[in-house]
Amino acid sequence: MRNFVDLGIEQREVMLEKALSVARIGFWEVDLTNNKVTWSRITKEIHEVPDDYIPNLEEGVNFYKEGKYREEISRLVQTAMEKGVPWDTELIIVTTTGNEVWVRAKGEVEIVDGKPVRLFGTFQDIDEKKRAQIKYNEASKRLALATNEAKIGIWDYNVVDNILVWDDNMFKLYGLKKTDFSGVVEAWESSIHPDDKERSQHEVELALKGEKEFDTEFRIIKPNGEVNHIKAHATVQRDSSGNPLKMIGINHDITVLKNTRLELLRSQESLAGAFENSSVGMALVGLDGKWIQVNNSVCNSLGYTIEELMQLTFQDITHPDDLQKDLQLLQELIDGKRDSYQIEKRYYHKKGYLVYVLLTVTGVYNVDGSLSHFISQIVDITSRIEAEEKQQKLNEITMEQNKNLLNFAHIVSHNLRSHSTNMSMLIDFLNKEKNSSEKEKIMGMLKSASNGLNETVTHLNEVVQIKTTALQLMKTVNLVQAVKDAKNNIQALIGEKNAQIDVDVSTDHVVKAVPAYLDSILLNLFTNALKYSSPERTPLLRITSKACDKRIVLEFKDNGLGIDLERHGDKIFGMFKTFHRHKDAKGIGLFITKNQIEAMGGNISVESKVDKGATFKLDFERAKKVEH
Amino acid sequence: MKKKIKTTWVIDDDEIYLFWTTKMIRELELSENILVYHDGQQAIEELKAINTAGEKFPEVILLDINMPIMNGWDFLEEFVKIPHQNDTKVLVYVVSSSIAQEDLERAKQFDVVHNYILKPLTVEQLKEVMAVVV
Repeated sequence: MRNFVDLGIEQREVMLEKALSVARIGFWEVDLTNNKVTWSRITKEIHEVPDDYIPNLEEGVNFYKEGKYREEISRLVQTAMEKGVPWDTELIIVTTTGNEVWVRAKGEVEIVDGKPVRLFGTFQDIDEKKRAQIKYNEASKRLALATNEAKIGIWDYNVVDNILVWDDNMFKLYGLKKTDFSGVVEAWESSIHPDDKERSQHEVELALKGEKEFDTEFRIIKPNGEVNHIKAHATVQRDSSGNPLKMIGINHDITVLKNTRLELLRSQESLAGAFENSSVGMALVGLDGKWIQVNNSVCNSLGYTIEELMQLTFQDITHPDDLQKDLQLLQELIDGKRDSYQIEKRYYHKKGYLVYVLLTVTGVYNVDGSLSHFISQIVDITSRIEAEEKQQKLNEITMEQNKNLLNFAHIVSHNLRSHSTNMSMLIDFLNKEKNSSEKEKIMGMLKSASNGLNETVTHLNEVVQIKTTALQLMKTVNLVQAVKDAKNNIQALIGEKNAQIDVDVSTDHVVKAVPAYLDSILLNLFTNALKYSSPERTPLLRITSKACDKRIVLEFKDNGLGIDLERHGDKIFGMFKTFHRHKDAKGIGLFITKNQIEAMGGNISVESKVDKGATFKLDFERAKKVEH
Repeated sequence: MKKKIKTTWVIDDDEIYLFWTTKMIRELELSENILVYHDGQQAIEELKAINTAGEKFPEVILLDINMPIMNGWDFLEEFVKIPHQNDTKVLVYVVSSSIAQEDLERAKQFDVVHNYILKPLTVEQLKEVMAVVV
């Protein structure tokens, strides 16, 4: 093979021309003696002018882009001609078709006898290279900006020669001065927290062996003692046979993130602890009303296990009367009209009874501001409400008793007074009366008034006795036996009225009663039924009993005169109230009966139609049957 | 001689009271006629009958409160429902042995009740009652 030097001159020129063509290098020349400008073919191509184009100096300059490029080339040419300084610069020209092209313009001046006679040089199209370089510079600048801003440090570790190169950010991250950095991998290792050092070194080894990617976190200790968390990532460059050459990677300070995470974890743990162990019921409730999470306290209050409760919605266990109010407030929360609400409401316990709670519901929002779920705080106030209700009932009983006492006092005063006023009136007349037979008559009346007074006092005393006799006299009594005894006691009256009495009381019906009261009650009901029987028909009295749970109801049904309950319903069991024009009606029997049965924890009620009969119902507490 | 009352009604279930009250009215010649009713029911039925027949109502009614069948209050409730056709007003006196404030207050609620007299009813009180009418 021949050397380039051995080639003939023409051949060499052809080859040069080819080479210049490939490199896009054109030649130009200005003869300053006649201002003749010569451009080579490539130069013309770069300017996008035809081959027959004849350039001149002025036009040549005007191809440079107006502004700083044209000024620059003018200045360089000027300086070259004045001082003989050559130039080599990169500028933009605008071709005849309007394309902007980066060119490398080189030129020098030939000076003869101190005078410039010729300018010549080369002209190279470097557009692609230049633009790529500009792009690269921009990208580098952006990267630098980004890494600076993000506090990302970049490092380059030459494994073979143990050379570690850090960028400025690395020094900032590690708090080291460039001058204090020895540039070997041990310099990095010495900054790592002792607890993390061995692991980190091992991870570098694994990465170099290609067993595991280097993607890790470790702590560093800065010269000022500050401990920071670093996130590191690297890639390994290898030679063709797979031996590691370099590790290039980044470091990123994640101390703030790490601390925030730690704080978050702690606060989550403490929240979870508070949630679980709170004596206040707490629940997370979804927008669909389903429980997301409930704590033990809620479960205890409502009687469900967590699993059971999770199958239900809050609507399922809310008292229907409280649901509307709750849902309405919830809707207002959803609509953003309020942030939270508080109501007293009732849930159903698993066993069916009511649980009173004070409910506070707060909305929890997503980052985008939409509602995520609700936090419900449920304070069980059942015991408070029950205490209030008990108190209320006690108040009502007390008020009722006060009212009864007052009423009783009125009755006492009225009934005693009606007799005493009669007596005082009679005595008045007795004093004035001269006629002895009239006096006799008045004396008779006085006796009757005094008897009446006595009788009233006896009745009132009976009532007081009932009211004050305690329940300790209660005994287990067989109803049917008591009814039969009472019936026997009034056999004479039954015979006189020619009445028919049917007793159909179960021998199993045993009640708790004060025997004396029961006898008095039964006797009273028997005599009433007979006393107020209709003269128009045979008196019929049917006595039956029925058991109802823990109560026994004894029924006295007659076909007598009956009572107009629409008019007297509220007074029938009142004291000294009578409803028939009957000589024996005193209005004390039913009053005492009512007091007696109530003193035994029972009840009396009546159904009646005028001239059709009356049915009295006695309600007793059922007793366990005594086996003989 | 002063003008006498035409008709007086005494509504009460107390026989002793009735006996002496009617006796006094008769002896003092305070009223030409005295009618006695033992409970409110009897009296109100009679009043309704009088009203239907277009006859004259009594000028004075002495009314007890505690009576069987229909007490004084129920009587008053029924009585005020009867449309008045007479020119002369009926004067109702409640005569009771009840000293309960509640009863006094309740009697005041009825315009037709002219006064509340606490038993025993004296001769002087009777004379005053009749004097009002005359």
